[in-house]
Amino acid sequence: MGEILDALLSPLAQGFVRRALGAGLALGAAGALLGVFIVQRGLGLLSDGLAHATFGGLALGLLFGATVDGAMWVALPFTVAIALGIQYVRRRTTLGGDVATGVFFAVSFAAGILFLGLRSPRSVPVNVEGLLFGSLLAVSPESLRVILAVAALVIAVLAWIGPRLAYATFDPELATLSGVPVAALEYLLLALTALVVVVGVKTVGVVLVSAFVVIPAATASLLGRTLGGIAILSVTLSVLGTAFGLFASYHLNVATGATIILTLGATFFLALVLRRR
Amino acid sequence: MSDALRARAVTVELGGRRILDDVSFEVLRGEFACLCGPNGGGKTTFLKAALGLVPLSSGEIEVLGARSGASGRAVGYLPQAKAFNPTFPARVVDVIVANRRGAWPVRVGSADREAARAALARVGGERLLDALLRGLSGGEMQRVYLARALVNDPALLLLDEPTAGVDARGRAEFLDLLAGVAAREDLAAVLVTHNVAAVRRLAKRVVYLDGHVQAWGPPAEVLGREWDRDAFSGHDHAAPDAPLCEDE
Repeated sequence: MGEILDALLSPLAQGFVRRALGAGLALGAAGALLGVFIVQRGLGLLSDGLAHATFGGLALGLLFGATVDGAMWVALPFTVAIALGIQYVRRRTTLGGDVATGVFFAVSFAAGILFLGLRSPRSVPVNVEGLLFGSLLAVSPESLRVILAVAALVIAVLAWIGPRLAYATFDPELATLSGVPVAALEYLLLALTALVVVVGVKTVGVVLVSAFVVIPAATASLLGRTLGGIAILSVTLSVLGTAFGLFASYHLNVATGATIILTLGATFFLALVLRRR
Repeated sequence: MSDALRARAVTVELGGRRILDDVSFEVLRGEFACLCGPNGGGKTTFLKAALGLVPLSSGEIEVLGARSGASGRAVGYLPQAKAFNPTFPARVVDVIVANRRGAWPVRVGSADREAARAALARVGGERLLDALLRGLSGGEMQRVYLARALVNDPALLLLDEPTAGVDARGRAEFLDLLAGVAAREDLAAVLVTHNVAAVRRLAKRVVYLDGHVQAWGPPAEVLGREWDRDAFSGHDHAAPDAPLCEDE
């Protein structure tokens, strides 16, 4: 038994696997906690839209001559600005959240394609596939530090505002009457989501990052009865699924990000079967 | 002693339309007042203005000696539309404790749980304590929201058509509950209703609101006038002694 476990965990002897595990677990925990609020608010497509907006931000950074790692510092404020723009449109118009997300996501992605095309022919070629599908096993020590910092920030802020944000998610009018600053908390939620999505794009890519936010929380919502229980279950499922997917992909020699997402997806479908009627 | 609620020349315009026009009246501490009038007459808008949810275009509303929206936990509110998120994992105990804490309870401690249980006991709903909100009937929902409004021992209750969507028996039981709650000497209440039986049973004074205050006084003086026939359910209005009929 011990030998089997040693063999399964043997990849940890390599630094890049340890960095990938650290990044995946941090991202999974922060994304799953955020996801509880995103899913309860019916904003599942938001993180997907923000991931596409991140592509626009990264492309803008590359247009300015940054490396892919350096472009993240342009993508961060770019995507946060897009998130706040989506929330502004949601609050100030009668358009639904999905409509606002759809508009901003399409415009940002189109701008990203335009930015990449405007780069000098002499600039370093960009691996667009790497942006779209990520490269968890290639996380640099610097990127890991950024991911850990963002995850710690997001978890700390959510621990602080979570109970009031939950009240606003249940009924914004009653929360307002209890003195909850509903509008400010909603803007903050979207800004935090943008932060997680931007650093998540580095690990699993534009296409799959929203799964970290949506799937564990959706699975936990199928099984949990209280908000606290759902939050704990969401983070637990995300952390275990990420670790399992990472090791499984290593031993099976298949794509890491996709294996993690498929693992999380499998828990969702299992929960669909097991949930209480 | 100051009034529980005092409106002075209140005007509210929303979307370019004047909803309330120069509305003035008072509700005394310990007084049960009913706010009546036709649909679109501004009753719900007035309550929301008193709560600070709708801005005043002019005038002022003083609630328990403070400006509107600043009285916090001293005001209990029972909304007409239960606009909560139906997918949210809300138990009855969570909803009541949230109003006590001003935040959603991630964990419900024993003191909070006891406070919620006591509030539910006042409305005969103790057995609902751990039920999921989305599974409740219309009558149970109203009891839970009344318990939620009472949990902070408010000095003023604002009740917006609390028997809407409840069957005749449930309405009668709910009126019994309100009568019991109103019996507390220091609790004032403003009840928005179209139910003339509720007005006759509960109200010391009636405000008839149709954009502006048409009449304001004891039920015997306000009810039964020609212009208020649209405001009440026909059967109740024509035969005041009949059993409770449809509310809106």
